[in-house]
Amino acid sequence: MKTITQKISFPEGIDLDSGNRLDAFDLMVETYGELNESKTNSVLVCHAFSGNHVAAGKNNDVTGWWDQIIGPDKAIDTNKYFVVCCNNLGGCSGSSGPTSINPLTNKVYGGSFPLVSVVDWVNSQKMLMDKLKIPHWHMVLGGSLGGMQALQWSIAYPDKIKKAGIFAAAAKSSTQNIAMNEVARESIRKDQNFHGGDYIEHGVIPKNGIKTARMLGHITYLSEKHMDSRFGRKFQDDESKVNKGVDYEVENYLQYKGKKFSEIFDANTYILMTKAMDDYDAAGNQESLEDALKTVSAQLLIIGFYSDWLYPPERGKEIQIAAINNNIRSSYVVLEGEHGHDSFLFHTNQYSQIIRKFIES
Amino acid sequence: MTNKLSKIINAWVPEQSKVIDFGCGDGSLLKELIDSKDILGYGVEINDKKIEECIAKAVPVIKQDIDKGINEFESSNFDISIMARSIQCLKEPSVALNRMLKLSKRCVVTLPNLGYWKCRLNLASGKMPVTPELPSSWHETDNIHLCTINDFETLCNEESINIKNKVFLNSKGKQSKIAAISPNLLAIEGVYLLEKE
Repeated sequence: MKTITQKISFPEGIDLDSGNRLDAFDLMVETYGELNESKTNSVLVCHAFSGNHVAAGKNNDVTGWWDQIIGPDKAIDTNKYFVVCCNNLGGCSGSSGPTSINPLTNKVYGGSFPLVSVVDWVNSQKMLMDKLKIPHWHMVLGGSLGGMQALQWSIAYPDKIKKAGIFAAAAKSSTQNIAMNEVARESIRKDQNFHGGDYIEHGVIPKNGIKTARMLGHITYLSEKHMDSRFGRKFQDDESKVNKGVDYEVENYLQYKGKKFSEIFDANTYILMTKAMDDYDAAGNQESLEDALKTVSAQLLIIGFYSDWLYPPERGKEIQIAAINNNIRSSYVVLEGEHGHDSFLFHTNQYSQIIRKFIES
Repeated sequence: MTNKLSKIINAWVPEQSKVIDFGCGDGSLLKELIDSKDILGYGVEINDKKIEECIAKAVPVIKQDIDKGINEFESSNFDISIMARSIQCLKEPSVALNRMLKLSKRCVVTLPNLGYWKCRLNLASGKMPVTPELPSSWHETDNIHLCTINDFETLCNEESINIKNKVFLNSKGKQSKIAAISPNLLAIEGVYLLEKE
């Protein structure tokens, strides 16, 4: 699989949804496969809240977050399609974000990095598209927050996108989603090392806060059934305990995952990404979602998972009904998916077949 | 679905209309209508394998249990709704009929006729009918609300549903004038175009 990783600079800057402006920014981009001569085979995949530009492939212990779906002969076949993925603006994997240097002050942005939104991400991805000389996307797709971007693409740039895949997502976050995210953010803000977001300047990292936030996140990503069958009420054996305070396997798992995540993920990015998720409403300035979808011409594929209680299938159904009311050629499929909200990340025969058939039909 | 049945339905569906097909199966009827009548069609199906086949044909499809969700589409302005060979599988056929006629002005319903003489022979010999059209035994069938042509028309009458058009099929699945003479005895399947004022 031909893979190119590159950082692309946008010296022209971008006006943000919030009214703020970034005078210049970079996007970390990875592409798989090759653009065909007629430039008709491009696919944009959008990452969810903690993802990045590495969507596929295996390299030095790092496996792409959607490697089960993207690759040679996989659901999104890189022998046929030119797949593009970028780390979103505000991220911490190479694109401009809170850990980058602010060119105006020559200091790390930290807490001063402006709020970004799903709309901003889609606009910056459009700038990336132009830079890569891609005339239109054959498909834009993603799960969770990535699905929101795919939906936004179909609304904002109807003539640039033929198909959209919106998986384990919603047209807007629910009250419960916002509530969960606020607990996560609060745990980060209340970490004594947070320093109002300027922890890098203080030479520290609010690791405990990120860890707790991630532990909570993990609970919401998994289904009750999956957790039960995977861990049950089993006790952790003494040798593999991450610390002495741990009793159950599930505790050990959350502690381990949380700690690992706190070592690689930026706290400000955590706050920024969850805020973008909370603030998104596909209806935008319109009266309703139905009004907002008036301009959509792409075919939609909406997939939900029964075991997902964070963005349950009914949320996808709302998009489907609004789409039908707008005469959009849209399909709505609900799959079993044993991994709760995370189900969108994992290959099952059925899931992959549906993506493959939709993209190739 | 036989070619003949889809041909009859095809004739009742206006060009470029908005169609919903409850129990659409692999989407072949909708695909045919999309190709020949340039319709905007949506299928409703519960079987995952069949949903895959719809998507492969680029036929928009919605995973949904028909027993639960017909009324979800009431705001969608459909011109015509179709339910082919499925109404006898529903828990509440008359509720479904009325809901279909609420979301679209017209609807097409087809149903197997339990009054067909071979079914009667089966019953006369003391057994539940098993025929090429009703191949499953009583404990395996999805057909929980089988009826005769007369029963169905009585229901339409009771519910003030107008039968705008009807066609009866013989054992070869063909439109048959002979079957139309005494459909309750001779028709293997009834095909109805319904409307409610």
